[in-house]
Amino acid sequence: MSAIHLAGTAHTGDLELEVGLSVEPGETVALLGPNGAGKTSLLRVLTGLLPLSSGHLNLSNHATDIPEAGVFVEPHRRPIGWVPQDRLLFPHLTVRQNVGFSPRSTPERVGQLLESLSISDLAAKRPDECSGGQAQRVALARAIAAEPEILLLDEPSAALDIDSKHLINSLLEDHGDRATLLVTHDPVEAATMADRIVILENGRVTQSGNLADVRTRPLTRYAASLAGLNTIAARATGNTATTEDGVVVVLGEPASGPVQLVVPPVAVALHRSAPDGSPRNVWEATVTELQPAFDRVRVVLTGPLPIVAEVTPASVDALSLAPGVTVWAAVKATEISAHPA
Amino acid sequence: MRAPRPVLATATLGVGFIALPVVGLLQRTPWSSLDDLLSRESVIRPLLLSLLVSVIAALVTVLLGTPLAWTLARVDMPGRRIIRALILLPMVLPPVVGGTALLFALGRRGLVGQWLERWFGLTLPFTTAGAVVAAVFVSLPFYVIAVETALESSTDDLEQMAGTLGAEPMRVLRRITLPRLLPAMGAGMALAWARALGEFGATITFAGNLPGRTQTLPLATFLALESDPEEALALSLVMLVVSLAVLIPMRDRWLPGRRPEQ
Repeated sequence: MSAIHLAGTAHTGDLELEVGLSVEPGETVALLGPNGAGKTSLLRVLTGLLPLSSGHLNLSNHATDIPEAGVFVEPHRRPIGWVPQDRLLFPHLTVRQNVGFSPRSTPERVGQLLESLSISDLAAKRPDECSGGQAQRVALARAIAAEPEILLLDEPSAALDIDSKHLINSLLEDHGDRATLLVTHDPVEAATMADRIVILENGRVTQSGNLADVRTRPLTRYAASLAGLNTIAARATGNTATTEDGVVVVLGEPASGPVQLVVPPVAVALHRSAPDGSPRNVWEATVTELQPAFDRVRVVLTGPLPIVAEVTPASVDALSLAPGVTVWAAVKATEISAHPA
Repeated sequence: MRAPRPVLATATLGVGFIALPVVGLLQRTPWSSLDDLLSRESVIRPLLLSLLVSVIAALVTVLLGTPLAWTLARVDMPGRRIIRALILLPMVLPPVVGGTALLFALGRRGLVGQWLERWFGLTLPFTTAGAVVAAVFVSLPFYVIAVETALESSTDDLEQMAGTLGAEPMRVLRRITLPRLLPAMGAGMALAWARALGEFGATITFAGNLPGRTQTLPLATFLALESDPEEALALSLVMLVVSLAVLIPMRDRWLPGRRPEQ
């Protein structure tokens, strides 16, 4: 019994999508991949807006799209709730009418969803009177009100305010048997919300597993870049954040409360002597390990902040990096992003 | 933006070209005897008939034209270009030719007309219904163009979204497509109504010129020009006032050019 069982190909523009994907009831799967990899197209295949050219798709164990057998279930008969990246709220309907649009929704469920996403006050307003975060909550409520067995979320928390993120996350946690496929480019979101991640590159699944698997054995350059991201728990106040070890980190943008700091390894610059200039975060660290990662080398550091830097093999030679060597590590404030924990 | 002088001059000429005949009409209107002229039955009857015929024609146009425009804009089908060209034909065809064609199709001995008469006892030529048919024939393309253009310029993303929420195609049409299409439908209806009000050639050819039944304002005006020019002027003034009364309140909301604020 699977919620989604897909093995097929589809074509859109120049992209050929050739995907095998299974999602179990109750499972949340994060779909990661670079821009143009086909993540949104894959969601369109599941909704029925992009028919398969070959292969088969089963939703909730029903044959849904099997071109060779002439099977195609129309979008409005699929057990799917879709929250597209641009939300597509109906501009001529009020928030309440939007949320209650599905013929499968009930007024009670609509009221309950408006309440739990804190958008009851907006019920009589039109979508163009809502902020981005409010519009995202309306779109999510509308999809969930249709009581889908499978929920498809396309970049649900891109550019959202913290309150909206919290409200959306807590609503999504209570999913019962509903399967969720979450498109994101944010590995932290993937790690916090999903049971499993699937990496899609150039129309194909290149890796699937839990984040720890991908972290230890990245199969592609993209997976390596995801896996290598440094995440540090901290508490933010304004433009600074303090880690559990008491280290103060300067942030590019103000944040508050418990956060996960995310630092891309390529943003960590290494020097043999204390650097001067713009970096606001500079500290002394000791190299503990060098790991080859495709055309780069990952330098594992200990010190005030346990962090991984990614440098070219040429830099390893130039800086004479080796386990035990002491270096100066520097990160610009603008390279550090703070995600609410 | 400041208009370059030659553009401004030519634009002024264009306005003058439209305004001059109107001024000429107003200048020659017999204002002193207007009361008497306007209370004549030979003025009131064509006025009421014209309003009746043009309003019914506009409504029929909406009923026929909306599904047609939707199908042309949204359904992939072979021969779409040919069907579109066919629908635009009455815009290009001289109305007299249109009326002649209607006569041979729907006339008492016409292709379909003979069966209409035999089975339903329905005769269209020389009846008010015939005048409506002639008006619909010439105004349908105006409506279809306005609505189809609006449908094509709006993507069907919202309709697809509604579909994924479990809405059947009819529900999508009723709740999403039609409400969003209302401004374009209003604009198309105004254009179709205006065309129906001014209809002359097809009407006189197909429906004839029977006072009280098919003699609309344009027909009555043309006839009065021969017999009683003062009455013709009064009739023209009536048409001018009716047209302006409808077009001026609509111009911001429905007519092309200025978009309503979203």
